[in-house]
Amino acid sequence: MITRRDFMVSGITATGAGIIVPPVFAKSVFAATIDDVHNDHVLVILQLGGGNDGLNTVIPYADPAYLQARPTIGIPADKVLRLNAEIGLNPVMPGIKKLFDAGSVALVQGVGYPKPVYSHFEGLYIWEHADPTMRQTEGWLGKLLAGQLDAQGHPLTGCALGQASTPAELLAQNASVSVIDSIPTYAVEGGEGRRVAGPALYRRTPGIYGALFDQALTTAEYGIAALADSQNRYTPSVTYTPQSTVYGSKNSLAASLQLTAEMIVTQPSVKICHVVLGGFDTHQDEDTRQSALLAYVDSAVSAFMQDIANHGMADRVVLMTWSEFGRRVRENGGKGTDHGAAAPVFVVGKPVKGGVLGEQPSLTSTVDSGNLQYNVDFRSVYQSLIRDWLRADPASVLGASFPELPIIRTV
Amino acid sequence: MGSANLQLSRRQVLGIGAGGVIGAVGFRYLAMQLPAASRETASASGVDGAWTSPLGSPAGLAAHLLRRATFGYTAAELDSAASMRYADLVDMVVNQAAQPLPRVGDATNHEAVVQAWYDHMATTPAQFPERMTLFWHGLLTSDYRKAARLPFVLQQNELYRSIGRSNFRTLIKAVTYDPLMIRYLDLEESTAAAPNENYSRELMELFTLGAGHYTETDVREGARAFSGIRTVLVDANGRRMQPPKLKGSTPAVYAQTLDQLIAQGARFKGVLAAGQHDAGVKTFLGHTGDIDPAEALDIILSQPACAPRIARSALVQFCTPDPSTALVNSVASQFRDSNYDIKTLMRAIFTDPAFTSASAYRSLVRGPAEYMVATMRALKRPDLAATCVRSGAAMDQLLYDMPTVAGWPSNQGWVSSAAWLARLNFAAGVVASTPDLPDPLEAVRTQLDGVVGSDTATVFNASESNGDRWYALLASPEFQLK
Repeated sequence: MITRRDFMVSGITATGAGIIVPPVFAKSVFAATIDDVHNDHVLVILQLGGGNDGLNTVIPYADPAYLQARPTIGIPADKVLRLNAEIGLNPVMPGIKKLFDAGSVALVQGVGYPKPVYSHFEGLYIWEHADPTMRQTEGWLGKLLAGQLDAQGHPLTGCALGQASTPAELLAQNASVSVIDSIPTYAVEGGEGRRVAGPALYRRTPGIYGALFDQALTTAEYGIAALADSQNRYTPSVTYTPQSTVYGSKNSLAASLQLTAEMIVTQPSVKICHVVLGGFDTHQDEDTRQSALLAYVDSAVSAFMQDIANHGMADRVVLMTWSEFGRRVRENGGKGTDHGAAAPVFVVGKPVKGGVLGEQPSLTSTVDSGNLQYNVDFRSVYQSLIRDWLRADPASVLGASFPELPIIRTV
Repeated sequence: MGSANLQLSRRQVLGIGAGGVIGAVGFRYLAMQLPAASRETASASGVDGAWTSPLGSPAGLAAHLLRRATFGYTAAELDSAASMRYADLVDMVVNQAAQPLPRVGDATNHEAVVQAWYDHMATTPAQFPERMTLFWHGLLTSDYRKAARLPFVLQQNELYRSIGRSNFRTLIKAVTYDPLMIRYLDLEESTAAAPNENYSRELMELFTLGAGHYTETDVREGARAFSGIRTVLVDANGRRMQPPKLKGSTPAVYAQTLDQLIAQGARFKGVLAAGQHDAGVKTFLGHTGDIDPAEALDIILSQPACAPRIARSALVQFCTPDPSTALVNSVASQFRDSNYDIKTLMRAIFTDPAFTSASAYRSLVRGPAEYMVATMRALKRPDLAATCVRSGAAMDQLLYDMPTVAGWPSNQGWVSSAAWLARLNFAAGVVASTPDLPDPLEAVRTQLDGVVGSDTATVFNASESNGDRWYALLASPEFQLK
């Protein structure tokens, strides 16, 4: 049973500054168990920051237009890890290939949305808010948490891991999110006195940031207590290899995914985990940079999936990748590619119905002078995962209905 | 897309309160007899959910300005500022001349540069120029990785310090030829045959105009105009030199070689390489001609969207988290009318009623660097620069290592469970390592205006040592705000 103390607060208003934090139903203290999460499924979101080049990730090796457009950075057909007679994976991705062959990867081709934008920030906004018109103000996962998965406000249901800021996807007015960089640093340091005094400074902070500050500390306090003995309950069963030399990446994906495994194994309340790897904005030297990044993704995701399986939780976990856009078909003068449009999305896990969905967009019949035309709306992917995996209602998050994609196995 | 609105609305999260339980939030204790006064005041005040603004008093207003235009102050500096007429104080702050960064041991090591910068932020009397250096770093962004082992981070840092308060036209032209920027946004790879769009796009979207004020064709035509910019090494007389080669050298020897060259007056600079530049006719933002980089920048600065975009960025950092269109336009028109004079921009912000009125009080969140440097200055511990370099990651701010080309978050964007633990832990570490702590009660007056909420008062009052009291002060919500 949850013991909840819900507080009604009066609106905290700063006149003149234009900010109104409206009265909300605040969620404060939580029990260690949860009683209203209706299944134990977990969705892991892996963001590839910067705009991953889909054409050098899933390579249309049989199409002569591919190497014509990419004379220096194109990957020759004999190097490609073939998935079928048309497409194959970048050669640095043997782990994903193995998972694909085992039927644990749904590869969705040509994912995008109408009227593509080529700006990082608009592209991010669209994917984060599930809204190409950019009118929504809450992140799609935040909305899902606050409205359905975590209506009780459990602080360890939505988690951003291996990072220090809250990702926009998880932000919503009533979503509580634990942001955990690493478990050892997730602590109030300085001895018993500080452990008491620090959070006590944030019980009812005045001002326009008061609720936000207090929530950060309340969430942290709960998480610290819940994770106190997690190392006794989780030991990694595989080696997560960090790759410190990956150019341009800001985050250690291996450590983030190991932390994700620890959270899933030890915290039954966890439903959504967000991890990120940056560095994919390969305007130049894409041949070396993207290969290094994808190799890292390949080894980290493979280790994570194996670890989860070894802990007997393969049936509980599905991972989805996304990036704000794919890249231009034709390479530029610096062995790189400029911002583009549609790209593939990977959904990985034992519950997935493996195979290729959607179609490889044409490399020659393009939009906006040389960009791939999408054929699967990214919200179809979200919808399938919300409905078929998390067993929640997609319409209240997405505001509309999209063509169904058979991503999740039904039996 | 309303990015400002996004930031606000997405952060409108939980109100945590306790109807009927809390007697008061936001009281002001005046007598400085903390235990008695706080209890008394707490029980006497009504619930208004806000701190009582001290901005009506000269000391309160001076402290407010100094928290935003500088990295903090000592009691003596505050008293001196409070004795001035506010308009004179603003003039004095805005007109401060920059002090150069002291010589950096290894200019090819970005962490050494960042440490020297933290040290300078904490110690230089020229505080406002330093704050503006951080502002431009956050707007006209770059990433240390692209410098490889060249002293480009230092050179860009010095550029923002030396001309960051002059004129935006001068600044953006210098930035376009800055060696770190040339690498960061791939100008170095951009040729007439294959123009790279990265700088053209981010310049318009993030540095000057904002999305919606240019087309994809403008991005491509702009890329042609900016093609051919290259970095060269010149000696003290401006003659081209061959840079030393990293290959076959050790990092130490290489750094030493570069250091010697720079000591002799050599420096890196951007030039337009005629052979690589597309001199053909372009149509860019409605203008047609053989547009070169300087002309392209003038065209951008002639767009109506330019001044409001920069004014908004400055307002969000220095004035209010959600500036109204009227405020943006008022500040932007003064900026534009002065032909992009940066001091005019900042004076307009600091003297606007939106800055000086009660609603501005504690309406901005100190960024991690600001928080750490304010701590150093409050405790008179300028020796903590190396600690700041190490501690930034957990609060999500490593200087010259930003999350994206859009720069640092602001205000609400800094807040997360992990980042707030990191701030508390920074405070605990610093307090523990400071043997002779100044008077904490005096610091409540100078650093927090004597205006604290009941939680801070309770923890402060329950403290058994000056270490505990300083922890309460530095970890408090009040000290995170400006």
